Amino acid sequence: MSGLHPYTQLALATLLPALAWLVPGPRAPAIALAAAVALVLGTPRPLRRLAAVAVAAAPFWLFLFLLHPPARAALVGLRLTTLLGAAAWVGALLAPGRLVEALVARGWSARAAYLLGGTLAAVPLVRAHARRIGEAQRCRGLATRGALVTRLRAVHALVLPLVLSVLHQLDERVLALETRGLGAAVHRTPLDPPADSPAQAAARWGAAAACLAALAARIA
Amino acid sequence: MPLRHIALIPVAVAINLALSALVDPTGLPLFLDTTGTVLATALAGPVVGVTTGVVTTVTNSLRNPTFLPFVVVQVIVALYAWAAARLGLFRRVATSVPAGIGLGVLAAAVSTPISYAVFGCATSGGVTLLTLLGRRVGMSDLGACAFGSFVSDFGDKTVTFVLVAAVLHALPRRTAARFPLALRAAGRT
Amino acid sequence: MTRLSLERVSFWYPASDRPALCDVSLRVGRGEIVALVGNVGAGCSTLLCVAAGLAPRVTGGRLDGRVECAGPETAGGGRVLLLPAPWTQLSGMGVTVRDEVAFGPANLGWPLERIRVAGERAMARAGVADLADRDPLTLSGGELQRVMLAGVLTMEPALLLLDEPTAELDGDGAAALWAVAREEAGRGAAVLVATSDLDAVPDLASRVVWLADGAVRADGAPAAVFADDAIWREGPGGPAVADVWRAAGLAPPWPVSVTAAARAR
Repeated sequence: MSGLHPYTQLALATLLPALAWLVPGPRAPAIALAAAVALVLGTPRPLRRLAAVAVAAAPFWLFLFLLHPPARAALVGLRLTTLLGAAAWVGALLAPGRLVEALVARGWSARAAYLLGGTLAAVPLVRAHARRIGEAQRCRGLATRGALVTRLRAVHALVLPLVLSVLHQLDERVLALETRGLGAAVHRTPLDPPADSPAQAAARWGAAAACLAALAARIA
Repeated sequence: MPLRHIALIPVAVAINLALSALVDPTGLPLFLDTTGTVLATALAGPVVGVTTGVVTTVTNSLRNPTFLPFVVVQVIVALYAWAAARLGLFRRVATSVPAGIGLGVLAAAVSTPISYAVFGCATSGGVTLLTLLGRRVGMSDLGACAFGSFVSDFGDKTVTFVLVAAVLHALPRRTAARFPLALRAAGRT
Repeated sequence: MTRLSLERVSFWYPASDRPALCDVSLRVGRGEIVALVGNVGAGCSTLLCVAAGLAPRVTGGRLDGRVECAGPETAGGGRVLLLPAPWTQLSGMGVTVRDEVAFGPANLGWPLERIRVAGERAMARAGVADLADRDPLTLSGGELQRVMLAGVLTMEPALLLLDEPTAELDGDGAAALWAVAREEAGRGAAVLVATSDLDAVPDLASRVVWLADGAVRADGAPAAVFADDAIWREGPGGPAVADVWRAAGLAPPWPVSVTAAARAR
């Protein structure tokens, strides 16, 4: 399963929730959820992953039962849990770097691939930067509780330094990317393109067709 | 798209995803997850803003796919921010506040049908409680859901707009000069 | 043979009236290492950007004068710039150090085999071969800076531009990096390095250029440049050895390295 092409993994992970939503009645989401659970059981540390899915889904189930009669709450709950389960499966198998490589191998330009790849690198760095700013401001005695005005001032004092600092670094980022060839209009060499096969491509088209058929049946 | 904009998008997305944890200690119910989108639009235009919104949703969905349907909201935010920048609404705090409230209304209007159809309006604790409250007061299902979304979005989007206006005014001239749209949006030309 | 030639170059950043570079003329030849020294804001980083072909193309702004770089065409004319802070240079497109190092050549469309060979060689020279399978986000600042150096070396530049490359490195790391710079020059590359590590300059560079307020104040051999009292009074100063000699009230030229000092006795 982990040897599958990232596109195939994504197609399968999209098929299950799509069918859960498109096919009417409670049986479809229940079957889709069972399939998602089965997939997750095939990943490393399956029980921990299933527990994480349960924890993520629990609040939704709570809100749904507060808002709706049990039948409808259960239906929507099953759909949401299928979505979370499918995502947990993909998260276990698909390293984002592999997805970026698959995109490049399919002909995406280096710049387009950088939009996703660069983001995946930037997010943890900016989050760490944000934590440091938060700590620094609190060390300086920033009041974060109390009257609304105080809290809003704290928001300003936390957010502005982060955003300004990140924008200031943007200059260096652009220089570094340009000097390392991202501005070049040449097709980027894929470093480790994931293997694909005609069978997988056919399976992906089949999945898309199944979704369209379900959608058509729903509308009709 | 010039390389400067290509490099801006990942940091704008990172801003979208980093702010809610940053302001957590204040206890305010703020997500600020469109701040990067609004900022990117004010700096570099609607195409960059919309791309930021889409990449934010895709990145977020890798961990939590329930965000996927709300990509529409990010796109609407980017387009609204572009209109606001063109109209000069970022030039003063006095104008950015009502602009933010307007976005709150619009964002709630767009996210309500998505929230209702896909999630049965059960997107978060706050929205759920507000929806229950709305129902208790006699609103319809959809109306209560809209009420919940609006109350939650109104403060969030207003603060977002004010923060972006503050950033545009606080940018050192040399940095702002790299983004001609930014100088015009902030009225600093 | 001259690799890099700047003739009467002046440069203004966008929306700025004060020139960042003022009538600068500079030549760097094959196999030569030239050190740029100056106070903060003197224009050393700007000069490197101009030499790299990044200013005004990427930074915006206005340039007067001529910039010429001779050499094989790889990235922007065979020249690459290494910046001081490693975290902003991280592309994030590589899950391993090996892939991160390969970022540059892959963008240029090199064949896979050439990338692999150049990458292995560059990682070995930068001393990060044992980190090849690590995730770049887990590295320390010093390790990451050496990985960025490998990323630059792997592009086999004819003109190597280094902006405060040892800022994140300890003494051993810095010494290793200067050794790499000397190796590159030995292979025929031209090296231009802006540094505040003045003690390393005499052993590293055959020429020192002192920049002040965007203009060239001095350009010559280390001993000659550091013999001028002006660089001590108004500029960044010089190597610690020379400082001691100068403080003792002895007449210039002062020895600029420990070996020179030993010989002087």
